[in-house]
Amino acid sequence: MRVSKGDIFERVFINEPGVNLLIEQEAGSRVKIVIVNLEISKSRGLEVSNNITISQLGEGCSTEIYALAFLHGSDSVTTETHVTHAVGGGTSVQLIKFVLDDNSRGRFIGDLKIAPDAQQTEAHQTNRNLLLSETAEMRTQPQLEIYADDVKATHGASTGQLDESALFYMQQRGIDKQKARQLLVNAFMKEVLNTIGDERVREQLLNSIDGVVE
Amino acid sequence: MKPLLVIKDLHASIGGKEILKGVNLVINEGEVHAIMGPNGAGKSTLSAVLTGNPAYEVTSGEVYLRGQNLLTMEPEVRARAGVFLSFQYPVEIPGVSMTNFMRTALNEKRAYEGKEPLSAKEFLALMREKKRMLELPDKLNNRSVNEGFSGGEKKKNEIFQMAMLEPCLAILDETDSGLDIDALRIVAEGVNKLKTPQNASIVITHYQRLLDYIVPDFVHVLADGKIVKTGDKTLALELEEKGYEGF
Repeated sequence: MRVSKGDIFERVFINEPGVNLLIEQEAGSRVKIVIVNLEISKSRGLEVSNNITISQLGEGCSTEIYALAFLHGSDSVTTETHVTHAVGGGTSVQLIKFVLDDNSRGRFIGDLKIAPDAQQTEAHQTNRNLLLSETAEMRTQPQLEIYADDVKATHGASTGQLDESALFYMQQRGIDKQKARQLLVNAFMKEVLNTIGDERVREQLLNSIDGVVE
Repeated sequence: MKPLLVIKDLHASIGGKEILKGVNLVINEGEVHAIMGPNGAGKSTLSAVLTGNPAYEVTSGEVYLRGQNLLTMEPEVRARAGVFLSFQYPVEIPGVSMTNFMRTALNEKRAYEGKEPLSAKEFLALMREKKRMLELPDKLNNRSVNEGFSGGEKKKNEIFQMAMLEPCLAILDETDSGLDIDALRIVAEGVNKLKTPQNASIVITHYQRLLDYIVPDFVHVLADGKIVKTGDKTLALELEEKGYEGF
């Protein structure tokens, strides 16, 4: 699909079995995509594959991609993003988060390209993953190809566990360990959920994550 | 005088290395005990062990809080029973607001005491009242726990939490470190206001300075994992002058 000059395309995908988007942006257009995978079957081991390919073909575009997946059992989610800045003056922001429990598997492939003509581009790609079990697995493949010199581009990927010192701090205030875990996981997930513009949808999701950590 | 905390021949280690080598201490209701000593003597280990920090292993000894065996209790149960630690290095918890954190903590404690949870209105009124005492800004409510707080704000925030939870035993671990004189005064005044005939505090400090503001009933010197000397507040002055070299 094509987002016309100056138009805005904003979509939130919740628990879709897979999101595939191919978007071309004309000058000054804005695209914002939020993908949330929170309630994948715990028993069936669903495999979800998201593929978002966005090209900024006109100047001064803005692209935002936010994704959150919370996986259990033998769930598997792959999220792939391909963002190309073909011309200059555009911005792109990507925040991709995974929370992985049990034997689940997550994969992020993030391909960010800034073409030689895309001067004064600002691009940020962040991937943060939280492992809740020893047997969960996360694979991250960020790929940056930057051919212009006057750009501001950052990328970062990290995978870790819950902060033990934060858990103890909360326990020392009387909060039981399970509840403390939940507060930390929710805090991690909220960063993505808070990007949802529709208040009703946002609040519904924020309410639904209370109690998902077991 | 009723004993609040009784520590008998407490030994504890971390990573197989013995740090506490037989600590004995009785703290009665209404008392303030200062624990001083050189670096590495085991001061922070004592606070970690009393609060149930899983990084430390108790190898032998007993600890009772109002007659209850403290060492078999989970860290959160010790907290609800009234043991509070003002951390030397308060932990930043991004994404968890002070309000949510404090309300969860307070209501867990109230449930333990068989009390109803506070309503949002009652809770916020209590937050306001206690914050004023510590001269903490109102904007604190919406900020994440300790995130981006200055050193002084973090220490004030510890005492603020103590004011909210009203513990029977407060352990202040190097609360004076990193505080300028004004923040030190505010923190100390806060601690003094919270003193009642039923509660007690353990003030762990390297320097005598804090004890000008929080006057202890007893001063203990902890050296190489044991309490080697006990005196009144004049002992702190003596230590300030002569140092710990004799221990």
